[in-house]
Amino acid sequence: MLDIRGLSKRFGYGKGEVTALHEVSFKIAEGEFFTLLGPSGCGKTTLLRLIAGFTGPSGGSLVLDGKDIAAMPPNQRPVNTVFQSYALFPHMTVGQNVAFALEAQGRPKSEIDPAIDKMLTLVQLLHLKNRKSSELSGGQQQRVALARALVAKPRILLLDEPLSALDMKLRKDMQIELKRLQRETGLTFIFVTHDQEEALTMSDRIAVMSGGRVQQIATPRELYDRPANRFVAGFIGESNFLSATAKGGVVEVARARIALPDVADGAVTLMIRPEHVVLSANAPDVLQLEATVAQLVFFGTDTHVHLVLSDGEKLVARVQNALHGGQTLNEGERITISLPAKALRVVRDEEIAA
Amino acid sequence: MSGPETWRRWALALPAVVVIMLFSILPLGVVLVYSLLTPGDFGNVKWIFSTDGWFSVLFERNIFDDTIGLSGANLGILFRSIVLSIVTTLITLIFGLPTAWFIATRPPAQRNFWLFLITIPFWTNLLVRTIAVQEMIRSEGVFNRILLAVGIIKEPIQMMFSDFAVLLGMTYVFLPLMVLPVYAAIEKFDFRLAEASYDLYASRFFCLRRVILPLIRPGVIAGSILVFVPSLGAYVTPRVMGGGKSMMLGNLIDLQFGQGRNWPLGAALSITLTALVLIALIWYTRITSGRKEQSHD
Repeated sequence: MLDIRGLSKRFGYGKGEVTALHEVSFKIAEGEFFTLLGPSGCGKTTLLRLIAGFTGPSGGSLVLDGKDIAAMPPNQRPVNTVFQSYALFPHMTVGQNVAFALEAQGRPKSEIDPAIDKMLTLVQLLHLKNRKSSELSGGQQQRVALARALVAKPRILLLDEPLSALDMKLRKDMQIELKRLQRETGLTFIFVTHDQEEALTMSDRIAVMSGGRVQQIATPRELYDRPANRFVAGFIGESNFLSATAKGGVVEVARARIALPDVADGAVTLMIRPEHVVLSANAPDVLQLEATVAQLVFFGTDTHVHLVLSDGEKLVARVQNALHGGQTLNEGERITISLPAKALRVVRDEEIAA
Repeated sequence: MSGPETWRRWALALPAVVVIMLFSILPLGVVLVYSLLTPGDFGNVKWIFSTDGWFSVLFERNIFDDTIGLSGANLGILFRSIVLSIVTTLITLIFGLPTAWFIATRPPAQRNFWLFLITIPFWTNLLVRTIAVQEMIRSEGVFNRILLAVGIIKEPIQMMFSDFAVLLGMTYVFLPLMVLPVYAAIEKFDFRLAEASYDLYASRFFCLRRVILPLIRPGVIAGSILVFVPSLGAYVTPRVMGGGKSMMLGNLIDLQFGQGRNWPLGAALSITLTALVLIALIWYTRITSGRKEQSHD
């Protein structure tokens, strides 16, 4: 439904020109919960502002339902935004805030009143209808912002880091709430966040962005299991990287060898998630390495074991804490570890250009 | 609060209280007393109680048949003063709001420069400024000469000594008083709210009416009061621009203390002016006090 084609954005001119977005292209499907994920300055907010229409693109097109909306002003786009600051109108009540979009469209009062009540019921705030929006708590303001953006039934709802101002507990609740709202309304959500956990738990698909380019677009599972490059692997979840050399389908790391499919000859980087590192020697089809336990860090549900390999490279393993002690490791102990072939990924070092 | 502590506070406030008593309350009292005395033959007052001064503010006695009627001249000037002040306030608002908006939307480094330009006339003597405006529009003035030279008009247009001239002068003189408080309000305005309103299908006009104006209202009201109050008591500008034809309250008061030699009437008119200003200020505090708690979120 939304087709982004070669969209780019440059700010400034001459020597001060900065490219915030490098010809980004992808499609978002109807009813999808799509997330733009990346560190600050990666271009995700710029992309969101381009879709909302607050800034115009320097190149490319933005096609919504077969129509190019790139030149359309924001008040004509069937797209609404939940702002990071909520941007509720402080001089209006909750009800007036929610009614704003419909009043701006010139809808009759007989249509507006029931629509407000319906939206406020949906976000469970009907009892606060006549409160001033500035008298609400952060979580309540968040819900009003949602109701206000949803009331005019936009084709796409844009959410600009809407949960970043909330505390941990409220954030978890709102994540579930947002997902519920999206399912109930069947709307297409484009969600911007820098929080990878938030992105993984909520999204149907995620576009990982960095340096104004899309690094990878995939489902959360795929992103985690098969990151396209080192940036994605490092940004999503925790990763260990090992430098290795490949020759004829066999990869060598610290004098240990393993056969991996589809490996080009030369220097490569291997990636493995900490939870996939096995702290024992007896397993088939593994890369077996000697390591020294450098540090043990207790995390409650699990323990992070910091290891140093014989060639000085570092590795972290995550071990779940068993109910009754389980195996006991000591700092400084020399052990043999196994990296299963299934869990090893060859990742490209360079970031890909979208 | 302990006794000495309270005493210290009073002691600290004393100089200010003395100054206000000596230079504000006391003179006002003198004026009030004068308004209830009999005019002297050559100005000044005779210490004989009389309400004639107050009577003459609104009424006049027909010298032939001794009937009492409304004082057309005084009421006319009073009415004109109020109308001219309101119109001046509206014009400065119409010109001042976009100006303040322009300044507030410049990059922060440039704003001081624009504010400086706005306040330059402030550092110039009021009389000099007013005469400069007169120079622009008088019959042999800049405008008429240009229009004559270009051939648009054959005869110079008479613009001086009219309500138009007074309005032009007052608008010019009081414009900064409108721009500054409105600018302060717009500068505090969160432009993300305007963005949010555009996102929610608002047109520019709808956004202005429903979001921007309500939120900068305290600045607009403050500016309006700052323009309206001195306009009502304006003396120099109507004198220079309006002459004897387009008098305002300030000139009428001056007349009573000067050529009119009716100090009680002048004093009564002064109190009337003060009362009008007071009413405007009470109205101002009424409509702003109810909005205090929501001005910061």
